[in-house]
Amino acid sequence: MRRGEVAARLALDGPLSVAVLTGFIRDAVDGAGSGGVVVGLSGGVDSSLAAALAARALGPERVHGFLLPYRTSTAESAEHGRLVAQALGVCCKSFDVSPMVDAYFAQAGAADRVRMGNKMARERMAILFDQAKALGCLVLGTSNKTEILLGYSTVFGDNASSLNPLGDLYKQQVWQLARHLGLPESVVGKPPSADLWPGQTDEEDLGLDYPTADEVLYLLYDVGLTPAEVVERGYPAGAVERIVQLERRNRFKRRLMLIARLSGSAINLDQEIPRD
Amino acid sequence: MTTGGALRVGLAQVDSRLGDLDENVARHLARIEEARAADVDLLVFPELSLTGYRLLHLTPRVALAPQRAPQLARLAQAAAGMTLVVGLVEKDENGTLHNSALVIQEGAVVHIHRKVYLPTYGIFQEERFFARGRRLGLVPVAGGKLGVLICEDLWHAELARRMALAGAKLIVVPSVSPGRVGPGPVPENSDTWEVLTRSTALLNTCWVAYCSRVGWEEGSFYPGGSHLVRPGGEVAARAPYLEEHLLVAEVDLREADRLRFRLPLLDDERTDVVGPA
Repeated sequence: MRRGEVAARLALDGPLSVAVLTGFIRDAVDGAGSGGVVVGLSGGVDSSLAAALAARALGPERVHGFLLPYRTSTAESAEHGRLVAQALGVCCKSFDVSPMVDAYFAQAGAADRVRMGNKMARERMAILFDQAKALGCLVLGTSNKTEILLGYSTVFGDNASSLNPLGDLYKQQVWQLARHLGLPESVVGKPPSADLWPGQTDEEDLGLDYPTADEVLYLLYDVGLTPAEVVERGYPAGAVERIVQLERRNRFKRRLMLIARLSGSAINLDQEIPRD
Repeated sequence: MTTGGALRVGLAQVDSRLGDLDENVARHLARIEEARAADVDLLVFPELSLTGYRLLHLTPRVALAPQRAPQLARLAQAAAGMTLVVGLVEKDENGTLHNSALVIQEGAVVHIHRKVYLPTYGIFQEERFFARGRRLGLVPVAGGKLGVLICEDLWHAELARRMALAGAKLIVVPSVSPGRVGPGPVPENSDTWEVLTRSTALLNTCWVAYCSRVGWEEGSFYPGGSHLVRPGGEVAARAPYLEEHLLVAEVDLREADRLRFRLPLLDDERTDVVGPA
């Protein structure tokens, strides 16, 4: 399989994918006896697609959207979040996380922008879990497979959730399904950004463009090629090496409970009990 | 029973609740009633239909001894007059656990098929929790005999072949197959399964009844798409994908006889060929 053929392998049938992912949400939410989901709306394509799938699965009245801006967040993010909520017919509340984040760093001292960004992400997730408790709902995750494999997330921040319909979708599959569901092109077509500081973009943070990251991850992780075999197929050696390192360095983020085993019946090691 | 030697086969494409025997028995009883109303002679449930599939360390907690379990007695009683195939975690006389399908007729267990090939790769972990079956059998029904193979068993072509050579005209395949989505409109694993069931029906000139489940377990979906294949490989009937359904269709086992006269693959089978080296 040469470069150029790989993107075609990542194509998904829109109606079947939507049927399966909405079934997943219904099963998880109704199986837990839950009222619905809460979801943070960043104005980006991931949270917009997750909310759209949930609205289809549960009906818009069971989806509670939240805008959670920091004072440096762009006005465009909030506009896009509202636009999507309106298009889906889901309610949308806003909480400004600036006072909480700033109060902490006023005590802890100034921090670099990565620590600031992590704090914002965890503050947002803390709010979503609290709102979920208040509303009798579950927290809908919005991390995609590319981010999860590269570790481009904040532990117990944006990577926390009760259920995640996007976690087995590469970024270009997210784009594809978002377009299939008719989400606004202003949301789907803009450069992805965590919007944790002004001018931030995912691709600059990662040092990679998403199509390359998706295809290289697919070849390494799904197909099982070696890094050298991926390079032979026409991908830049530097990008492949960076992806290999990020994936290896961030595996801990995918297995968060590390328990010291003393007994012969350690949770998740000796005793794998399904959560369903 | 249907006149003229044809069987009315029902494939109960159901969802099972993981680890909840009582709920699953209740769901089976409801489907048995529905099948009775549809004059079904042979009613098939998916693999591990009474327990759900991805049990892991819950496996021993839901095991049943076929001759003593009151749950099975209730199902047998409800299904009087029908041949019933149900899936369960079987605890054998030595206390060993198997992934089994029971064939129940006239209130009694007449056959137990213990899954021979236990997949233990990728998402599958069956060898960790089950012991391998090592015996094949056939069960008489109207017009001929049927054999039961569970899911992965069908991927090892010699089992269906041996059943056909021993006289099976219908191979019943209870299955649980985790779904995958790709560019096509049908779940990818469902396409693969139809290649397999149709090839089996063609090469062995027999009917194949494939009963698959729907629903979700641990984030993984089961696509359904249960179907019946005629001797020769044509799909006779197919249940929808992604939803519960009772698929009912007429199966005339004599159709296998007629095809075998025109296409005597089984009669021509040779056992005297040697090699390679």
